[in-house]
This record gives sequence, C-alpha cells and structure tokens, in this order.
Amino acid sequence: MKIQTVKCCRSSIFFLFLLLSFSLFAQEEGTWRQASPSSQAYHEYRLKNTIPPYGLVKIKALIAQIKDADDDSKSPLNQKAYLALPLNEKFTYHMIHAESYSQNCDVVPPIIDEDKKIFGILPDAFNESSWSERQANFLKSQKDAVVSLIKESVNRSKRVGLNYKTALVEMNATETIPFLIELYNRDHKDFDILTVLMLFMKNNEYKPFMISTSFVKLYGDKSDAQSFINYNKANEELIISRAIAFYNGRK
Amino acid sequence: MAGSKILLLWVFSLLVQQAIGQQDTGFVKIVQGNYLLGGKTHQLNPLRKVHIQTFYIAATELTNHQFKAFIEATHYITDAERLKNAMVFEPGLDEFKWLQDSTACWKYPNGKSRGGIEDKMNHPVTSISYSDARAYCAWAKVRLPSLDEWEVASRAGASTLYFWGNDVEKIGEYANIWHGRNHKVADASDGYLYTSPVGSFKPNAYGLYDIYGNVFEFCEGILITDPKDRKLAYARGGSWWCSKNACGFFNSLDIGRVSPHASFSNQGFRVVKL
Repeated sequence: MKIQTVKCCRSSIFFLFLLLSFSLFAQEEGTWRQASPSSQAYHEYRLKNTIPPYGLVKIKALIAQIKDADDDSKSPLNQKAYLALPLNEKFTYHMIHAESYSQNCDVVPPIIDEDKKIFGILPDAFNESSWSERQANFLKSQKDAVVSLIKESVNRSKRVGLNYKTALVEMNATETIPFLIELYNRDHKDFDILTVLMLFMKNNEYKPFMISTSFVKLYGDKSDAQSFINYNKANEELIISRAIAFYNGRK
Repeated sequence: MAGSKILLLWVFSLLVQQAIGQQDTGFVKIVQGNYLLGGKTHQLNPLRKVHIQTFYIAATELTNHQFKAFIEATHYITDAERLKNAMVFEPGLDEFKWLQDSTACWKYPNGKSRGGIEDKMNHPVTSISYSDARAYCAWAKVRLPSLDEWEVASRAGASTLYFWGNDVEKIGEYANIWHGRNHKVADASDGYLYTSPVGSFKPNAYGLYDIYGNVFEFCEGILITDPKDRKLAYARGGSWWCSKNACGFFNSLDIGRVSPHASFSNQGFRVVKL
C-alpha cells in the first residue's frame, strides 16, 4: 500500500469534485444559529471565579514575578516562597493561580441554550491551566480550613465561584451540601451548584442516584463531557432531594 | 476454535497495521476553491463558506524521525526540556487528569520511567508545544496548516461530523483513540496504548492518515473568543487519549485550545508546504 501523493489520477480528482459538490449542496440546507444573549451571558456567569481577599496584593505580586514576561509560560511559585505563605494566603494563591496545564479538549466552549441546561461536569476553572499535584494535595490535606475560608468568602460575596466549586469537588467536601443548597435557593440561578451536588453523589457512588435516569444521561456509557439534563423545576427538586438524602445518610 | 481463529485474525490485522505504519510522509494537494466549513450550532466554528488557495499538506503527522533531524541540526531545546513541565499520562488517572513529569520531553514522551522512542521513530513526535512546532517549521521551511485548511483537508469533501458520515462507531477503522469507558484502566484494544506509527489506520478520501486521533495537530489561527491578554494555541483532530465519553474531539468540527508552551504527550503536528 502506498500513501497518496500529489500525483493523483485525474479520475480521482473528478470523483472528489463530484463528492464535494454533493456535500456542499447537502450542507447548505442548514443555517448557523448563534446562542441567545441570555445563553451567552450565562456562559460568562458560569466561568466567573471568586477572588479571595486574603493577602491578595501580595499574592498577585508574587505571581507577577514568576510569570515569564517573554513567553507567558507556566511557572509555579518556588517551593521556599510557597511553603512560607500562611494558610489563608496560600488559599488565595490556589484560587487565582493554577500551576499546571490543561489539555486541548478540557476547555468547555459556549453552546446553544446553555442557560437552560444542567451539566454533568463543571467547566475548567482556569482556562488552559489546572491545579498541580502539590496544589491538589494542599486542598485535600487542608480541607477543613479551606472549606471554612470558602464559606467565609461566599457569605460575603453571596456567590460561589467556579474555582470554589471545583475545589469543593476536588476535596469531596460533602459536608457543604446544606450550605450549597441554601445558597442555590437564594436565586435558583447557578445550575452548576446542582452539578456539584450530583458530582458528590456520583463520586461517592450514592446508589439511588447511580441507578437514576439522570445518572445514565449524564455519566452513562453514552455520555460525554458536554452531557446535560434540561433545567426544569422537577429536575431541580429531584437533585436537591437526592442530595439531602445522600447527606443525611453519610457515615 | 472459532475464538482462536478470531484472535489470530486480530493479531494478524494488528501486524498489518504496524507494517503499513512504516512509511514516510508525502504531500497531498488540496485544490483551491470555496468550501463550507463549521457546524450549524457550533459557537466556535460556525457554518460558513470560505475560499481556500491551493495548498499541499503532509499525508501523515510529523514523526520522531523527522523531529530528531531538526534537533540534531539545530540543537534546539524544546519547551518541555527547558521548563521541565511536560504533562504525561498513565492509566489509572481520573478523566482529564494528567501528571506533570520533569523527565518528559519528545525523547521520553511520557517520562523516562515509561520508556523512550528508540523503537518508535515512525510514531508522531509528541510532548512538544505549539512553540516547538513552529520552530521546527521555520527550520524545515514548512508551516502549520490554518484552522480552515486543516478542516478542508480533514473533511475530504464531506459535510458531516466525520469524513465518512456521522456514525462514531466507525472511528476505530480510521483513528487511534481511547476505547475504554474511562481512563482508570489501560486500553490497548486497538493495538496501541499511546501513539501508533503514522499511517497505521485507513486514510480519508484525500489520502490523509490519522487526521483524527493519534495526536492533536497544531494549527494556526485565532477565534472570536480569543482573550486579549494572552496567546492561545489551537489543535484539532483529537488524540490517542480521546474517548467517546471524555473528549470526542476526533472529528472535523471541534477545535481544542491549549497554552502555546504546554507540552502534552498527545500533541503533535502535520505540516504544509510553504
């Protein structure tokens, strides 16, 4: 077998021309539809992180120093400076600076009717970056303190940013379920809080959820990274009631 | 008995695939014309008509063999070697999780502990960044395809999600992807855990191999969503890591994005003649 080169025969080109003509005709039947303004606005809303106040000026200055001015490559804070940070400033560092890269297909693009969907997974909190191993380890090892700082920050801003939600899932902070439900019920706007509740149930293999229709659709064999269920009152209530039952049944 | 025959046939087909993969690259001519690209609901890649000038694109992804020639001639230091922050994979990780490995670079795509490329010189080069790919192109007097050129080449005249239609189940005939349900358990059901030799799977109608799967292929271009404060690199076609459940980017529609200096073991490139 030989790889085709520029010396293709004329009949093949003619055949491809016919094929192309047919394909163009077939595709012209549709027209492109842009996501509605509310869908686009919700996409932006989903991606917003919460910026913690603890030592923010100092942490921003440290991050500015480690960024390579020439090529914007990713560099972590050196270990000595990292270890010297007090816990609340380390928390700020983690919430505004991810040290590792995210791969090509990790960043969730905007989609049609995003504001009417409850997704199975969260978008990437740091665009083309993600937490490094030492950052993930910090979150897990300092879980109680981090949860406390997140609650304190959320109670001030009345919003749980994407970075906070990602941290809660990373830490498996199921103890925050009542707090998250109370927050969600304030305006019923941030469907990604419902996603966090479902991720808690999935990651802890909560059986009533694992055998549900929602689970199959969001995490089953035919699911993908953009799988969703439609937002409606029934789905909202079902997710919350299941999450409460899961929380109450924790050992 | 029937089972052992099937097993023998499977092993034979893998050997044939390996043999096919020994070939070097050639270039395929894509003729100038108006092409319809994008999708009806895709917000980053909208349905539109574009005019493309004639270009010549490599039939295969750039190999370790070709990249080695560049390194030997120029003593270029890749981003992974300079920054020691390449991202590698090993089975057992959660979805979308990768490991940072200071020993990984194009010579050891998944780190020294997971082996080198000595017997993989006809595999696509990986663990290089967009910045490295551009450096190679400058030396070899070639260039990366534009986002639109890549899509025209990948579609080979088709208007569907894949160049053969919309049936994802046929992906195994044309592409080295991840067939496992998740990445917790190793998947080499198509013969390859990581990359495969270039040209191991069936080509598209233009004669382009591995246009989907094997490695994400860097392209040139910008999107309307590009941030003002930083440069992004784009890559298309999915990779050996991509699965139907975690990252279905092995198609002609989706566009991946990554830091221009990020080095992953599922990133590579295909060149276009100047």
